[in-house]
Amino acid sequence: MTSVDPDASAAPAAPSAPLLRVRDVAITHEGADAATPRAVTFDVAPGEVVLVLGPSGSGKSTLALALNGLIPHALPARVDGDITIGGLAAAATSVAVLSTRVGMVFQDPDAQLVTGTLLDEVAFGPENLRVPAGEVVRRAEEALRRVGLWERRAENPDRLSGGGRQRLAIACALAMASPLLVLDEPTANLDPAGIEEVYAALADVVAAGDRAIVLVEHDLDAALGFVDRVVVLDGEGCLVLDGPAQTLLRERAEEIHALGVWLPVSTLAALRLRAAGYALDPLPLTPAELRAALQASATQPVAPSASLAATAPAQEPRAENRTIAPEPAASREKALPSVTSPVLGTGPVLGTGPVLGTAGEGDREAGLISVRDLTVRRGRQEVLHGVSLDVRRGEFLAVVGENGAGKTTLVQAIAGVVPPPRGRVAVDGIDPGRAAPRELARHVGFVFQNPEHQFVAHTVFDELAHGLRLRHAPAAEIRERVGDMLARFGLAGKAQTHPFLLSGGQKRRLSVGTALIAGAPVLVLDEPTFGQDRERADELLGILDDLHRDGTTVIVVTHDMQLVAEHATHTAVLSDGRVVAHGATTDVFADRALIESAGLRRPPLATALSGLPAHPELDGIVRLRDLPGGDA
Amino acid sequence: MNETLATPQRAAFDPYAPAPPTSAIRFLYRLNPLAKLAGPVPAIVLLVFVRDLVTPVAFVLLAWVLLLVGARLRPRAIALLLLGIPAAVAVLGVGFALWIDPSTMLGSDGARVDETVVAWRIGGWTMYGGALAIGLATALRLAAILALALVAGLTTTGPDLVRSFVQQLRLPYRIGYTAMAAFRFVPRFGHELDVIRSAHRVRGSHGGRGPFAAVARWTGYVVPLLAGAIRHAERVALAMDARAFGAHRDRTERYPVPFRARDVVFIALFWAASAAILWLCFPWRLD
Repeated sequence: MTSVDPDASAAPAAPSAPLLRVRDVAITHEGADAATPRAVTFDVAPGEVVLVLGPSGSGKSTLALALNGLIPHALPARVDGDITIGGLAAAATSVAVLSTRVGMVFQDPDAQLVTGTLLDEVAFGPENLRVPAGEVVRRAEEALRRVGLWERRAENPDRLSGGGRQRLAIACALAMASPLLVLDEPTANLDPAGIEEVYAALADVVAAGDRAIVLVEHDLDAALGFVDRVVVLDGEGCLVLDGPAQTLLRERAEEIHALGVWLPVSTLAALRLRAAGYALDPLPLTPAELRAALQASATQPVAPSASLAATAPAQEPRAENRTIAPEPAASREKALPSVTSPVLGTGPVLGTGPVLGTAGEGDREAGLISVRDLTVRRGRQEVLHGVSLDVRRGEFLAVVGENGAGKTTLVQAIAGVVPPPRGRVAVDGIDPGRAAPRELARHVGFVFQNPEHQFVAHTVFDELAHGLRLRHAPAAEIRERVGDMLARFGLAGKAQTHPFLLSGGQKRRLSVGTALIAGAPVLVLDEPTFGQDRERADELLGILDDLHRDGTTVIVVTHDMQLVAEHATHTAVLSDGRVVAHGATTDVFADRALIESAGLRRPPLATALSGLPAHPELDGIVRLRDLPGGDA
Repeated sequence: MNETLATPQRAAFDPYAPAPPTSAIRFLYRLNPLAKLAGPVPAIVLLVFVRDLVTPVAFVLLAWVLLLVGARLRPRAIALLLLGIPAAVAVLGVGFALWIDPSTMLGSDGARVDETVVAWRIGGWTMYGGALAIGLATALRLAAILALALVAGLTTTGPDLVRSFVQQLRLPYRIGYTAMAAFRFVPRFGHELDVIRSAHRVRGSHGGRGPFAAVARWTGYVVPLLAGAIRHAERVALAMDARAFGAHRDRTERYPVPFRARDVVFIALFWAASAAILWLCFPWRLD
């Protein structure tokens, strides 16, 4: 049952009636056994900004869809309890009428476009409400101006970036003239620049103070700036905490973290530093706050942790990372005989982290992957201009860069998804520009962003067996290897299930399994965490870390800089079709000017900790696990 | 957004693009799309039953005049219209002529084809003038129908067509505007199909060459494509519902597409011109 925190009473008491009243709401999807959310009660006052937090599966998005009646009117589900918006009961009012009280912004910017120009798009809602044409245009102008898109009103929405399209979606919701906006993970499908754009637009809306906002979001780093109140659901979908954002997050951080809610990186770092004896009070929530708090607490911790030594040494000098030293031609043609004996740990093994040491000077292992002067054209446009890159066995390489920098093109060429020009790429001794798919699959596996795209069989077992059957492997071997793979990825009970009927996480694991079953020593993933919630992303990254520890060379394209900092041993930065930096991750992120000139952001910890005069011992740390304080 | 998803969206062709601003002489842009459809329709239907050479030529000329005066075309479009259509007629005409069995076919004058002049002879095979005439007439008919369809096709935007269907023909707007939203799906699915194809290729599920393997391959694309399409359509539908789509029996129309006197005049003139051409050429024989 609801264990509403006493803080709930401390929530700002609205003088007028609440705009939104949610009372004991439980929602059961058709065919589901349990209700998620299960017990939710909260109010939203006019003008208030409320952030809904909860681990994945707690029913946050379901709750958001119920607030404007899409559940149960458009999506069948049983809704118990009461939702009242501006005096209208959601259960008894049509979605069309509720749309004048609640404006919605969804996760996928592409799935919200209906018309051919920005102006028509914003006008679409008011037109449906039979608002007179003059008023429609007035509303549309106001809404577009508020998100900074009025000048582009005549353009096709396709020409906007992801962030621009999501700003347009906000304008569309504003034009409904509803006093409440509900945003369901509005930045989950965006790159860092897009996220900033959307939050800047939202902050402007909040500053005007005329709309209440209910925000479902997992990216706390961006949202915290303007949120008044936080409502926290637990894994079962029961509301457990409700209170002012800053106080709640600072004072109950451990509790919220224990529920499985993902806290801001700076807060996690601060919890860890506190455990190590740093005085950080109140608990910082943003990189800037963490930095300021550390500067204020000039006192060194009582017992400096020994694990600090793990962070700095054994890196190549940075100057060398900028330019890729030409490799002797002979080394790149040589295939390594065994894939099962990876060369890990030749460098000193450092702390609990994986194999940073393999990048050390002493290890001049021949490149497992070498790209030489690769130029790729798409249509008339040249996407990659003479790229050269070497990846050694056992590396975890992150490929980062702005949209359009050529990241996907580069990794698709490496994996032979789009065969590169001959003789430019060598992977594990073969040329993806020449190799037949069944041969390629033994040397490099590629995981697409959407796992469904690469499923070819009707059962999970056949899906995994596919690559082996192509090679005419004996039936006994197929059974054994598929069995191993099923067990390894927690799919043992699903062998006869159709791949499309798996859950999202299972599909992802299966796609990794199919890429690896033929024995490929290299796994390439294109934005594997894109559009996923934190928990599912963490699960996948755990798998990748395990594979990497077991010797698989992993290459990921990603926008998530903290992911890069935490998991990648090496990072390649692409800008306009060229590699502008390539080296050990810590070194690449140490160069602030370079990162910014490539249109990227540094990971939050790098921003917070670099160059603190009072704490030289923290300088250069970008990973949580490198911080003193153990498992906080 | 991932760049692989973003690229195809910047396709050159924009089905929603408004008609460019034009001077008054470009009258085709100022007509109701329904008028531009209704005008040529009788001629298009009757052309199916025409067998001579002159009538289709006359209609091609009529369409050319209308388009060159009434539409603002790019030089490439003009070249295609004035050179491409005759070239296609020549190629198709000879092609059709090869198919004709001279011993059974009758020419438009009622004479058997193998009794007409010999155009050329290669060994034992003869191309008769009558066969060429029939082939050319067939190709010209197709060209005339195409040219007449282009009068509306080159000067009407998709949204305007939908609006006139909703406003004049009382098509329920829920259908019309849903169709308009569905235009957006086309490039998206095209791109998705590309991704699925390369994903399957990388999995090595080529299955070999030949038509049967190709069919098997394409059926493999259907499931993921449909799964993605249904999910996307559901999301779009939710987003449209959330913006009150279908709330009332009608909706505010900011772009009236009126049906005016000039549209009636255009239809009447077009029908009169069609009648005049058919009267003068009279391509049928009354026996």
